[in-house]
Amino acid sequence: MKLVRKITNSKLFFTFIWIAALIIVWEIFAYQVEQTKRTPENVLPHLSGVVDSITSDKKINGSQTAFQMVMENAGATLSRAAIGYVIGIALGFILALIMSLSGIVEKVVFPYLMLIQIIPILGMAPIINAITKDIAVSRIVIAAILTFYPVAANTLAGFKAVRRESHELMYSYSASKFQLYTKMMIPSCIPYFFTGLKISAPMAITASILVDTLQGGLGLGCLLSQSLKGAMTRYVFWDIVFFSAIIGILSFYFIGIIEKLLCPYKKLEQKGR
Amino acid sequence: MSAKMNSKRRSAVQSVLLPVAFGGVLITAWQTGLLHKLLNTDEYVLPYPTRILTIISENTDKIMENVWASLEVALLGLLFGSVIGYLIAVFAASFRKLGSGGLTIVSSFNAIPIVALAPVIINWTKDVSPQADVRSMVAKIVIVTIVCMASMSVNAYRGLTELPAFSQDLMKTYGAGKLTEFRKLRLPNSIPYIFTALRVSVPVSIISALVSEYFAEYVIGVGRQIRENILIAQYSTAWAYILVACVIGIAMYAILIAAEAIVLKKRR
Repeated sequence: MKLVRKITNSKLFFTFIWIAALIIVWEIFAYQVEQTKRTPENVLPHLSGVVDSITSDKKINGSQTAFQMVMENAGATLSRAAIGYVIGIALGFILALIMSLSGIVEKVVFPYLMLIQIIPILGMAPIINAITKDIAVSRIVIAAILTFYPVAANTLAGFKAVRRESHELMYSYSASKFQLYTKMMIPSCIPYFFTGLKISAPMAITASILVDTLQGGLGLGCLLSQSLKGAMTRYVFWDIVFFSAIIGILSFYFIGIIEKLLCPYKKLEQKGR
Repeated sequence: MSAKMNSKRRSAVQSVLLPVAFGGVLITAWQTGLLHKLLNTDEYVLPYPTRILTIISENTDKIMENVWASLEVALLGLLFGSVIGYLIAVFAASFRKLGSGGLTIVSSFNAIPIVALAPVIINWTKDVSPQADVRSMVAKIVIVTIVCMASMSVNAYRGLTELPAFSQDLMKTYGAGKLTEFRKLRLPNSIPYIFTALRVSVPVSIISALVSEYFAEYVIGVGRQIRENILIAQYSTAWAYILVACVIGIAMYAILIAAEAIVLKKRR
């Protein structure tokens, strides 16, 4: 009894209720669409159909099953997104560090950091593609730009959130600038840094898929537009939709898990509760 | 005292002059072709600023028509998304356990790439109207609505539940009912959080409006024009639309900041 109550009281349980409700609503509509439309899988397929298309070993383009095809294209897209993501993180962190060290650099750069945040970078994807002339490079560039500003802005906020007393303590220890940063500033900005990482992970993936749709070749976005145009079974489209939705959501939680593994303070917080 | 004032003023002047000077250097580098050498590109793909401005002034009517189309989508989507998001937050704050689980789902919608969302929504809204322009418009507004919903519901939920210490107890001693508590305490407390949400969702509404145009049936909007013009290698025209898109983004954000300053100042 106690266990049952514990389960029904947890937040996770209610999340599952909502997921179940969503699935039921989806299936009801899918049933409706099946009755009224000539090609129901174009509008709203049954979830079982989507699962079938992933697990079936029917070859859809002569050599690959739907699953293999999606995976191969996902590899091309996500590896570029990951490279851009890492470059963006590195640049964002370094810039935040420089801004924290030099007030002048902060004054020059920070307004532009805000500006990048409010101008539609994704709208510029086609032109970046035209400048770099290579779709793989432009995927990396756009993923890096989109990752760059949340990381830089959040890390800088982390540097600024260090309490005055801590600064005074380090001063009284006569710590050098190097020690100040390695012992205090950088460790204390890590939670903020991870907030930046969490925000930008789904963005990097979105950007990378979007760039794919601009040009042919290997990539999730390209496969998506091909199957939308009817070059292959429509289920490939649904596979990609679900796959990218799940990857987007997982990337957010994945960074959270990394944060938990790397950062002792998270464990402490939980123990404290 | 005056020395301190002086240094404060100098610092304020610096924080305006330095970025402006940096921008000036950047534009000069662009206009003189230095930027092209750095990016290893030519003035065809990356036209000079003067050329872009000429194109904007020559095609004002057509550009404005597309600007209105995009703005309509972004603003209506932002409005619907924010209202629905706030209602979700109210629901979640009234039924805590059930609500917070639902909130997790709504916020995970945020992580779904727009690229995956857009074609699905466009599929689902095919029967809304026989006219391509109307149904494309509906599809785009729905996409922006979904994208804007998440940040509002998460932030508003915090505003409705993270109340100042003892304020709830005070309400109880007044014998206030649930509705009064909501009206007099929770609603006002959530207003700054609404602005936090809008700071995220205003830029996002524009970006998702532009991206949803890529997938829409009917060819209109700033985002779609950027893409269409690049497909026919009209790079200068594409740049004109990019510049316009940036101006829209900055203008909407500036309006938001001004509104925030006015509203929050009155409260103090």
